Amino acid sequence: MSNDDLYWTAIDLANGILSGAMLGGYYALISVGLALTFGVMRLINLAHGDWIIVAAYLCATAASASGVPPFWTLIIVVPVMYAIGYGVQRGLLNHVSVQAAERRGMSPVYGLMLPLLVTFGLSIVLSQGLLLIFSADTASIKNDLSYSAIALSADLSISTLRLGFFAAAAVLLAGLSLWLKTTHIGRAIRAASDDPETAALMGMRTPHIYSVASGVALASAGIAGFMVGMSRSFQPFDGPSFLLMAFGVVVLGGLGSLMGTLVGGIVLGIVQVLAGTYFGPAAEQVAGYLVILMVLALRPQGLLAK
Amino acid sequence: MSTSAVEAAKAAATAVPAAATPALRITSLSAYYGELRAVHDVSLELERGDVLAIIGANGAGKSTLLRSLVGLVNHGARSHTRGSIEFDGKRLDKLSPDQIVDAGVALVPEGRRLFARMSVEDNLLAGAYLPRCRPTIPRKLEEIYALFPRLRERKAQIVSQMSGGEQQMVAIGRALMSSPKLIAFDELSLGLSPAMIDEIYQNLGAIIAGGAIGILVEQDLKRALAACTRFCVMLEGSIVLEGRPQEVSEDAISAAYFGSDAHGGFEARG
Repeated sequence: MSNDDLYWTAIDLANGILSGAMLGGYYALISVGLALTFGVMRLINLAHGDWIIVAAYLCATAASASGVPPFWTLIIVVPVMYAIGYGVQRGLLNHVSVQAAERRGMSPVYGLMLPLLVTFGLSIVLSQGLLLIFSADTASIKNDLSYSAIALSADLSISTLRLGFFAAAAVLLAGLSLWLKTTHIGRAIRAASDDPETAALMGMRTPHIYSVASGVALASAGIAGFMVGMSRSFQPFDGPSFLLMAFGVVVLGGLGSLMGTLVGGIVLGIVQVLAGTYFGPAAEQVAGYLVILMVLALRPQGLLAK
Repeated sequence: MSTSAVEAAKAAATAVPAAATPALRITSLSAYYGELRAVHDVSLELERGDVLAIIGANGAGKSTLLRSLVGLVNHGARSHTRGSIEFDGKRLDKLSPDQIVDAGVALVPEGRRLFARMSVEDNLLAGAYLPRCRPTIPRKLEEIYALFPRLRERKAQIVSQMSGGEQQMVAIGRALMSSPKLIAFDELSLGLSPAMIDEIYQNLGAIIAGGAIGILVEQDLKRALAACTRFCVMLEGSIVLEGRPQEVSEDAISAAYFGSDAHGGFEARG
């Protein structure tokens, strides 16, 4: 092998790992909300992906209505998504929990199934609603930033956008971890997810606490929606693919571990990009899900969970 | 009503300070799980500084009485209470569990019910969730660590890795974090080693400090009677005997505990 070949092999590998890791930040941001609702609260929200698409449309609508760059629409979109998340949990999902099923004299099994059915229904309502309002045409909020890259050397570069998303994911996940760990409301979310009755004995109003957690989950879905809109075009029915991706990342990283979500995203990203580089684009998805299966078989608690 | 009667009532109101009325008054309380009545027409009055031991066999309704007090029966699935519970002039039976904690009532639940995946200190801090409790957190933590020094050593440990006795200390500490004016213990000594039970009972005076009311549900008759100022014996959901421990013979208490022949072999759920 000549020196030149060796150089290009190294560059391919470095590019693959680098862009894979950056892709991991994108995956992590898509998964934050699910990591919180599924990983911490153990509520399976099948509408998670659809909320991301809703947020993407909100960003697009706000950007075109106001004329400001898409980034600034987050000032509106994130609080709106928080409010929606709080309201949907308070007005709908709190009434289909295990405890709510017991209160109605139903078996707890129904209590586990009801949120699945209700969020599945919500997923359909959201995507059909988007179709009704925005039609099936693809939408996007891509701008110059979407195509810019930072050169690290003559042959090594990273996408500016991906780098930004990676940084945003790291800051958001670290911030949320700290929030869950050290604040009263964060502790209450963990306590109420673990044992709602005892949490009530601590003075915690569990319906409010679950609603705050869901609000934060949807606020982060708001950021994910902006990110999706900046990186690609989207349609009303794109939600479920994001849901699937997020499930993989959360399971990979470990339930209940928010930083695990970032690690899960990075692992998935690197595996996919390297598989794509060496075995062609068709191998990307297969390699990703193979890794998830392998982790589930060898380390079912996930990479970072205790 | 005549003017003099109104004036007499006013005079009575000023002459009798609020503290003279019992701090806790339970009147004709019944508790139901669906159709089943687990507590039957219970009335109780306690004053500040009282420590009440509730004694009775399994299924006598002791735990249900405590759960009624902290709002879990009214809050729970298909269960409710009748009658009234007044504490410091507030109708607890009309409040939700979180409002009852805010009113100064704390329960150390049966089986401890700690937040298993959290550290010792996180469990303690969870007990101080209410805004009114937050300013006193450093002082309260210090008090609890002084009471149970081994909790200070292990404050970062995950509670599920601790012994039953240590977990009970965390559960007591967690209840104390809300500075309760009434603290209830459900099966305080259940499943603990004798040495650990000794350690906890030695500290009971300090735990129920400064004019607070203590309510002790306990299977261990001797320990309960030694620690209380008043006791009541429950059988099949009703109070069948009450008094002060020095006034009643242990034989009489035992007889009430097991019930008369008419009740033999019959148990209500509790």
